[in-house]
Amino acid sequence: MSNMARKMARRFSIPVTKVAIPVIIPVIPVVITLTLLLSGCTTSSVNVVKLSPPDMLEQIKLGKIDAFVAWEPFPSKAVKEGSRIFMKSSDIWPNHPCCVVAYRSGQLNDDVLEALVWAHVKATRFINDAKNKEKIVDYASDFTGLDRETVEIALQNIKYVEYPDEKEFRHYYEFLKESGILKKSVTDIGYGSEDDFFNDFLRKDIYSKVIRKLEENPDYVPEKVGSIRLGFITADLHHLALYVAIKEGYLNKVFEKVETKQFPNGVAIMEAFRLGELDAAYLGGAPATLKRINDDIEIRIVSGVNNEGSAIVVRGDINSPKDLAGKTVAIPGFGTVQDFLMRKVLSEGGLKEK
Amino acid sequence: MNKLPSFFLFILIWYLFSFFQIIPPPHTVAITFATLFIHGDPVLGRTILEHSISSLLRVLAGAGIAFLISIPLGISMWYPRVYSLFHPALEILRPIPPLAWIPLSYIFFASFPRPTLFAQIFIVFIGSFFPSFVAISDYARNTPYEYVELAKVFGADKMKILRHIVIPYSLPGIITGVRVGLGVGWMSIIAAEMIATSGLGLGYFIMVMYEVGGRVPEIISGMAMIGLIGYAMNAILLKVEERFPWCLQSEM
Repeated sequence: MSNMARKMARRFSIPVTKVAIPVIIPVIPVVITLTLLLSGCTTSSVNVVKLSPPDMLEQIKLGKIDAFVAWEPFPSKAVKEGSRIFMKSSDIWPNHPCCVVAYRSGQLNDDVLEALVWAHVKATRFINDAKNKEKIVDYASDFTGLDRETVEIALQNIKYVEYPDEKEFRHYYEFLKESGILKKSVTDIGYGSEDDFFNDFLRKDIYSKVIRKLEENPDYVPEKVGSIRLGFITADLHHLALYVAIKEGYLNKVFEKVETKQFPNGVAIMEAFRLGELDAAYLGGAPATLKRINDDIEIRIVSGVNNEGSAIVVRGDINSPKDLAGKTVAIPGFGTVQDFLMRKVLSEGGLKEK
Repeated sequence: MNKLPSFFLFILIWYLFSFFQIIPPPHTVAITFATLFIHGDPVLGRTILEHSISSLLRVLAGAGIAFLISIPLGISMWYPRVYSLFHPALEILRPIPPLAWIPLSYIFFASFPRPTLFAQIFIVFIGSFFPSFVAISDYARNTPYEYVELAKVFGADKMKILRHIVIPYSLPGIITGVRVGLGVGWMSIIAAEMIATSGLGLGYFIMVMYEVGGRVPEIISGMAMIGLIGYAMNAILLKVEERFPWCLQSEM
């Protein structure tokens, strides 16, 4: 036998054990891992997951989640698709703050802000005027792409406002602080105290000026100013005032040019503010506050958009907070107003988040 | 190889960047990392180790399934008929990045008990399967012709040739495939966790930290953990690779 052949013969005797090892290596973890991963949550806790509201609708329909908390029109849409509203946010936390109009500090002068706030106030009053109900339902349907019946139910849950409730805003801020979600304090970003911060963050002088002028002269229209880049969240019914301001021509009356940009969520809007891609935007008070403090993105709030307008949606036999034990519930994000609402309900039922 | 100079150079460059306040300095990240390791973060209430284990388990499940298929399939590419049957189709699927499968995977697994989990395991499967399959099939197909001929002279049939020549010759390809596949799978799971919520996992952790804001040290800690685990996986498999006396050519 040649030298090469002997080596070949030696080689032939290796395989069985040597081959088995690399083949077995992947088999063991597959079995262990699948077993571990498929184990569910215990009945003493609630499995809280973060989902986007459109995903919440799909997952509750498929039975993958048992409940979710989201803003309108998603709860009303879920009801139409067979789920049930368990609690409205107004029942959990009356008059809670939600969306706001904010601008990038130093980006807009007071004349531009006056024009913006005027258009917003006019649009909000148009929405709240009972005689415009039919038109508002049409606008809401166009804006969200939903049918009239769904938006009609959704609109009943939203309180469109001109300026946020400062006391409730501070209540939300306390929640952020207590839950450890705020990484920085207001002093870290250059304010002497929380009062200083809120006096600057919630800027009321422009709104007060517009209101005073409208009281003196209901036909008052501010002087036309240049252009503005306005952001908002796609199909968010809370931001209906912006759509109404465009459709009713309020924005065109006071701006030479209005450029609107759509975003998937408030975090994306705050990033756009940071990058200087926006002058002002309609967005949730939660990302506005969180990113203002945690990331020091310099924005100020000049108007409120809505209070309340969210709801907890459930499927099956969930009739009290205690019934959520062992279930999977979805929130749109940590530190959001909806997260706060869900935590309140869970604590009422003596439940813990998993 | 002495790795210390490289490590110190890296830390020095990091301090330079932190001097311009682009990123927090290494010591701040180290403290945050230790805190996350011991106490976890207040937002999600989990330690970084829990997130890491969760991601790792998903990778092991997805990559394990991938290797269970890629090893026999890769070896069977030695048969010209199997090769001509599978190779063209696999070559079309191979360039599709794992992330491009994400939307489809959520549709695939919508009716499963935990669709997000299964979708993420599937993404890892895709990420791990193709690199391992390519490495294994390359070795199998490049089995030296003279060995096969010699075995035939000794009267070996096709099964014996496969068992005693092709498979041993493919062993380095298997280990290399497992190593590369795990690396790609690890990268895929982080991306998949960032896109879809899973409640746990390093990708999910980084994304939530970004969303709530003000947590750059936490984000870098998560990234460091990804790097450390990826490095450890690669190092372990390189050691395994070294322990096998399979370099047939050097023995000859």
